[in-house]
Amino acid sequence: MLDWAFVSHYAPFFVKGAEITLIISVFGIILAVVTGLVCAGIEIARVPVLRQIVRIYIELSRNTPLLVQLYFLYFGLPKLGVVWSAEQCAIVGLGFLGGSYMAEAMRGGLETIPEVQRESAYVLGLSPWQTLSHVVVPQAISTSIPGVVANVIFLIKESSVVSAIALADVMYMAKDLIGMYYDTYESLFLLIVTYLVILLPISLLGTWLERRFDYERR
Amino acid sequence: MSGAEILLEPGVIPRLLQGLWVTVWIAGVSVALSVPVGLIVGWLMTMKNPVVRLLTRIYLDFIRIMPQLALLFIAFYGFAQAWNWNLDATGACVFVFVLWGGAELGDLVRGALESIPKAQYESSYVLGLSGWQTFTKVILPQALRRLLPASVNLATRIVKTTSLAVLLGVVEVIKVGQQIIDANRFQYPTGTLWIYGVIFLMYFIVCWPLSIVARRLEKRWKHD
Amino acid sequence: MTEQVARTTQASLDVRHLVKQYANADKPVLNDISFSVPHGKVFVIVGPSGSGKSTLLRTIAGLEPIQGGTISLNGEVIETGKPGTESAGRSKRSSELRTRVGMVFQSYDLFPNKTVLGNITLAPTLVQKRDKAEAEQEAIALLERVGLADRKNAWPHELSGGQRQRVAICRALILHPEVLLFDEVTAALDPEMVREVLDVMLELADSGQTMLIVTHEMQFARAIADQIILLEGGDIVEQSDDAEAFFTNPKTERARRFLRTFEFDRHRKPAETTA
Repeated sequence: MLDWAFVSHYAPFFVKGAEITLIISVFGIILAVVTGLVCAGIEIARVPVLRQIVRIYIELSRNTPLLVQLYFLYFGLPKLGVVWSAEQCAIVGLGFLGGSYMAEAMRGGLETIPEVQRESAYVLGLSPWQTLSHVVVPQAISTSIPGVVANVIFLIKESSVVSAIALADVMYMAKDLIGMYYDTYESLFLLIVTYLVILLPISLLGTWLERRFDYERR
Repeated sequence: MSGAEILLEPGVIPRLLQGLWVTVWIAGVSVALSVPVGLIVGWLMTMKNPVVRLLTRIYLDFIRIMPQLALLFIAFYGFAQAWNWNLDATGACVFVFVLWGGAELGDLVRGALESIPKAQYESSYVLGLSGWQTFTKVILPQALRRLLPASVNLATRIVKTTSLAVLLGVVEVIKVGQQIIDANRFQYPTGTLWIYGVIFLMYFIVCWPLSIVARRLEKRWKHD
Repeated sequence: MTEQVARTTQASLDVRHLVKQYANADKPVLNDISFSVPHGKVFVIVGPSGSGKSTLLRTIAGLEPIQGGTISLNGEVIETGKPGTESAGRSKRSSELRTRVGMVFQSYDLFPNKTVLGNITLAPTLVQKRDKAEAEQEAIALLERVGLADRKNAWPHELSGGQRQRVAICRALILHPEVLLFDEVTAALDPEMVREVLDVMLELADSGQTMLIVTHEMQFARAIADQIILLEGGDIVEQSDDAEAFFTNPKTERARRFLRTFEFDRHRKPAETTA
């Protein structure tokens, strides 16, 4: 059986850890969404040169682990004179990883919009800007949401890796407690519960959002 | 740039490659074992039995919602204590990756099996094919086409996730890198940048071709 | 409204020596096409698949650049073909001009993010800057005309294919186009829904709407057409100002063969030979 006294005594540590996890994740996800928007925009508009750079970035980011990206950013870059905190580094790392995933989700969403939608708007006399704001973007939001939500959950999960650069997130708390007290079950129990508490509502919210924005199903 | 010479020190690159081999080995064994597990899980998921469906659902959802690092901790510390099961770090990694890969692959198998139109079964029946013939000659080839690109993608994800093994103490490519950095701390203060840079590229060189293969397969079989 | 009436009285579409060529193709898809659609008439284009019918409509709507000839609306040249524009995008024609040529597509052209009313009133309010209440009023009148007044707040996905196409027709009509193009609008529909759409088009023809129709429905073409052309391989094979004559007494052998593909004669053998 679990030692409930231990659990209740150390639960606040996990709340603190959850705070760090969420702060890093929220800023990392915002950075990822912005990066994704910019990259998707460059790819769709076929901006020369920038487009090739975006492609290289996406391939590098998607085909390497976050842990290695973080180690490079946190331990490697300071040797070049970059000075930053573990928090900044974690956010940039998550943004670097997530940006490519978000870009792909957004581009994928945009590509599923049939060409005849744009043609209809053209024939009706809508300007390119009106076509974008009234026809393309609302539909692209709807078609990108499943991918973007999946990426949000993915990035929160990936944020567990920041414990490796000494950030006191949920994962770090569990590791610390196991190391100190050998109350392994209690620590693991708290670890699982904390992640479930963070991720389950987001997962449900995601499903709801998908429904809400799916023009075919609502 | 100064410090890059660390890569030319005798033994540095070979040692990193040895570390990379451990990484690739863990990933390879995990992927290989995930396939049978995934096939069984996928088959279980298409069963009508509500209890089986519920259990596989819980299994899949739990694996999916937990960070892989958390799963690794649960296996490494939790199981060791629970059954006095002295799972070493490498074993814990393979165990978790197979559970995870099996779940993901199982869901892919389920999706692939369910995506095959009923008319395929019906026309096989009308043509007089047996159940086994229908499965092996008609259903499986079509399911594989949907399965293979996603499986290659999963392999890429498993390779990347193998990086977490270092956090359990497995001496793989990152750990070897750290050892090299530590040993050369005074001679090459900027070695960190180069070693992590090389490890970054090594992962890329392993994962990128897999991504390309997955993409090609997807494109080729998309319109059939 | 007076301006609307003024421009429709003499509206006609005139296509002269139109050439359409795709990049990397040795043969043009439309080769020296000339015809004109008089005001208030229904002009039908028929032809086998791949004959260039749809492409012709798309060039008139400005969706595809042309490499030769002219397209005029109401005496005013709206498109002039230029060689070397094979990979150019849609025509740069003005919004106002685009509203004067309406088009209904085969399918999937209603905006899924707008209700039926939202689809119909989008262009009048946004492009023609009309009053929203006035546009809605006309939209409802149009929906009544096509028998869909009760579905005005529905989402496109809640409608059947036939209902969607009727809404798409309303969406084009509200702009009072001088010519309305129909690109195989019933081709993607279930057979029982084809009729409701064709009935709307017949009613439009009776009301004097100038229309240019591409269709595979020969019975319908015969019923609605004032004038007709048969297109094949990018050439006009037969052109007739009297559509009925085209069906009863085609001038060319090719037209005869084309029309015969829509007839079904079962040549039963005489009883004595089978016995």
